[in-house]
Amino acid sequence: MKTVIGLEIHAQLLTETKAFCTCKIDVNAKPNTNICPVCTGQPGALPVLNKKVVEFAIMAGLALNCEIHETSSFDRKNYFYPDLPKGYQITQYFHPIATEGYLNLDNGKLVRIRRIHIEEDAGKMVHSSENITESKESLIDFNRCGVPLIEIVTEPDMEKSEEAKEFMEKLRDILRTLGVCSGNMEEGALRCDANVSVVDDNGRSSSRVEVKNINSFRYVQYAIEYEAERISKVLKDGKDVKHETRGWDFVTRTTVSLRSKEEENDYRYFPEPDLPILKVSKSQIENIKQNLPELPDQKSERYVKTYGLAKDNANIIAKDKIISAYFEKLVSSKMDPKDSSNWIVNDLLALFNADSVDFNPDKVPIESLKVLMEYTNSGKISRLSAKEVLGEIYKNNRNPQDIIKEKNLIQVSDENSLVPVIKKVIENNPSVVEQYKKGKTSVVGFFVGNVMKETKGKADPKIVGDLAKKILDGEIE
Amino acid sequence: MLSNLSVEDLIEQIKSNEISPEEVINHFVKKTALIDPKIKSCISTSFVKGRDGILNGIPFMVKDNMEVIGTKTTCASKILENYVSPYTATAVQRLLDAGGTVIAKTNMDEFAMGASTEYSSFFTTRNPWDLQRVPGGSSGGSASAVASDMVPFALGSDTGGSIRQPASFCGIVGYKPTYGLVSRYGLVAFASSLDQIGPLTKNVRDAGLIGNILIGKDPKDSTTVEKQIDLLKNIENSIEGFKMAIPKEFTKGLSDDVKNVLFDAIDNFKKMGVKVDEVSIPSLKYAVAVYYIIAPAEASSNLSRYDGIRYGLSIDGESVDDIYTKTKDEGFGREVKRRIMLGTFTLSATYYDAYFDKAQKVRSKIVYELKQIFNSYDAIIGPTTPGVAFKIGQLSSPLEYYLQDIYTIPANLAGLPAISLPMGSINGLPIGLQIMSKRFEDEKVLRIGRNYEMIRGKFPLPEVVA
Repeated sequence: MKTVIGLEIHAQLLTETKAFCTCKIDVNAKPNTNICPVCTGQPGALPVLNKKVVEFAIMAGLALNCEIHETSSFDRKNYFYPDLPKGYQITQYFHPIATEGYLNLDNGKLVRIRRIHIEEDAGKMVHSSENITESKESLIDFNRCGVPLIEIVTEPDMEKSEEAKEFMEKLRDILRTLGVCSGNMEEGALRCDANVSVVDDNGRSSSRVEVKNINSFRYVQYAIEYEAERISKVLKDGKDVKHETRGWDFVTRTTVSLRSKEEENDYRYFPEPDLPILKVSKSQIENIKQNLPELPDQKSERYVKTYGLAKDNANIIAKDKIISAYFEKLVSSKMDPKDSSNWIVNDLLALFNADSVDFNPDKVPIESLKVLMEYTNSGKISRLSAKEVLGEIYKNNRNPQDIIKEKNLIQVSDENSLVPVIKKVIENNPSVVEQYKKGKTSVVGFFVGNVMKETKGKADPKIVGDLAKKILDGEIE
Repeated sequence: MLSNLSVEDLIEQIKSNEISPEEVINHFVKKTALIDPKIKSCISTSFVKGRDGILNGIPFMVKDNMEVIGTKTTCASKILENYVSPYTATAVQRLLDAGGTVIAKTNMDEFAMGASTEYSSFFTTRNPWDLQRVPGGSSGGSASAVASDMVPFALGSDTGGSIRQPASFCGIVGYKPTYGLVSRYGLVAFASSLDQIGPLTKNVRDAGLIGNILIGKDPKDSTTVEKQIDLLKNIENSIEGFKMAIPKEFTKGLSDDVKNVLFDAIDNFKKMGVKVDEVSIPSLKYAVAVYYIIAPAEASSNLSRYDGIRYGLSIDGESVDDIYTKTKDEGFGREVKRRIMLGTFTLSATYYDAYFDKAQKVRSKIVYELKQIFNSYDAIIGPTTPGVAFKIGQLSSPLEYYLQDIYTIPANLAGLPAISLPMGSINGLPIGLQIMSKRFEDEKVLRIGRNYEMIRGKFPLPEVVA
């Protein structure tokens, strides 16, 4: 059995105004405050294309290695729904702006992009019950109506749910780096529908099932995994897999049938007569290409090549433009790149990840991290203390020097004050000393650990180790 | 006396202080109150005054499918019976900015689908030449109001002949500009690739005067274009040496009455030193068929928005689909429903290639063949309509109505400028001469019309007794 996966992704573009009118886009605005005759479908209102939308779509197309078409056009997708005020969605059906691209996964697999086209979002509905059919009342907010989207359609090139998840994460990182989409799946700024089918060992393919309502990166994987298993089971039972649209239910972690193929809308696509053919010149495309930011994969490669970063660290830093900017500032202020990358990945990002929040450089200013790194490298404080201070900076946004002083964390490294403490620990543990004398030198670590405890972590463990050995060997009285 | 004066005449009188702008407006408001009960041109009266400008004191009426802020814009449909415009159409705004005053919104066939105003959901407008006859349509309210001198000019919209056909029936001038010259922003869409706003006036010079104000690129309508056009600049220039084409396809099957009026017109052109040839444009025989695929297809999509959710008629139901069904069933008239069904069918996945796509291809062929004609000819002329105004209730099948547009449709399919002006009369009823030329040759169309108007002599307006 082989699973075949293709994705259809909708990404909300981060333009200031809507796709076909001049209404502001603001997710925090009160319902129905950013609306006008155009986006509420008043009689006689006409769409006017926002140029920024075209630029963003081209940027995404170029970043995904697509061919950008100098002429493309808009069409109407007709269907009735209360959140769709015109009774049709303006989209690019017959001639999309970009086609035939690809994105590389880390395992070297190439996922082909069939097309990228521009379209508009619908309004948002709030129902008094779970769904519209059971609701006595439904409210519609048209603030989202007309927000520009790009739809990215892949070829069915993925075979594992993990690949689909990785594709989505890489896509998010690219769109974020371009600054064209927030990439937030939970908020619906990035949405993914998955087309799943299974080919049995005789090469016979099941019908294709479309899975909708997948609203997180984890669920991309879970939903596809579930669906592939469900289809395989139907096949094994010798039954026919229905060609249908199913919805992911994150509560039960299953997919449920939404509608069969027979119930699908006939969208009656036809060319949108209110918008002229969209033309972009070669030089416009070239100009956008020249100004594209460095993309995550290119950046990661550069970090490995020029800074010698470990591939994993390089990937993690490169995929986020805020993190990579932070890293590059550290490096440009003369901090060691490898060291910097370790601090960022192992310590700094761990703090944000623990709280499940996005990295925010304001919480740990570069200057503060720099001080910590310098103190640690010069042995003034221990790595352990540094970690503690970092947590404190993250939590309470304080100056590192103040914390170090307050907590009295400067390491004790002078022998005169350390020797009595070490001697005390040795005297209290004669049996361990016995083991050492029998040749088990590794027990030195035991003494070091206890000295660290006694000094509340302030001692420099390397110096303690050296001194302990000398005392045990009788080199120090 | 203010009777039967053109816009230019009125402007002249106001300029020379013979009469004040207020007096002129009052005169027409009163006259409308007096005459309209008989003709029934108006759906609602209003008083929306613009700024100061050349049209100071000039009242006008607006077909009820154009938005004028604060007025009801009904499209003569029950579904929009109580819809109040939240904004003003660009074309109307340009006239307001030039000093004009809107005094009424006029009757029409529902959503501009028809050729008689009989498909208005409210009432049928009368032809001022014979109250038993239709004024034509869909801009029948605007045409009859101008012909009965309730107003010096009015705005109409033309999708397949809706300005020119009523102008022909009412004995006035109707001008459909080149597609893209006048903004459609605020014109309630019927078939977006065909719709164009234009004036109905008492003479060709007024059509030029109002046309000049209407024309201009609108940032709110992406299909408008920037063109330097002055319709009045060369309008009085001679047309000697011009070449006109009369398509065989336009004269085949014409009644002798109409033929005779056309022959008189041809003689007039010849007198002016114009060459008139008969030509053949084979694809024109498909124009009506193509139109009745493309227009309903676009309409079926354009009219989707009237769903009872946000504005207009809303009839409560068990479910969303029930609300849709009940609202549309109650709100739309028979002809509108017929065209929505037709358009929905031709756009459906199964029939798209056989109908809509094929119609688009034939449309391109018509555009091409017309273009070829204009390589050798200045204009195409012919009767605007196959006959004079018919009696209310006379036509029975939809097809008979559809054939009303047989000569006017090609200009819409090809986006050409076209004008209808009185050509002559048959048994006391007017019939129009249509002149069309290639895209953006609006100046030429009006210049030919003006020359014809001069040689024909003043065409009378009907006597309407209150």
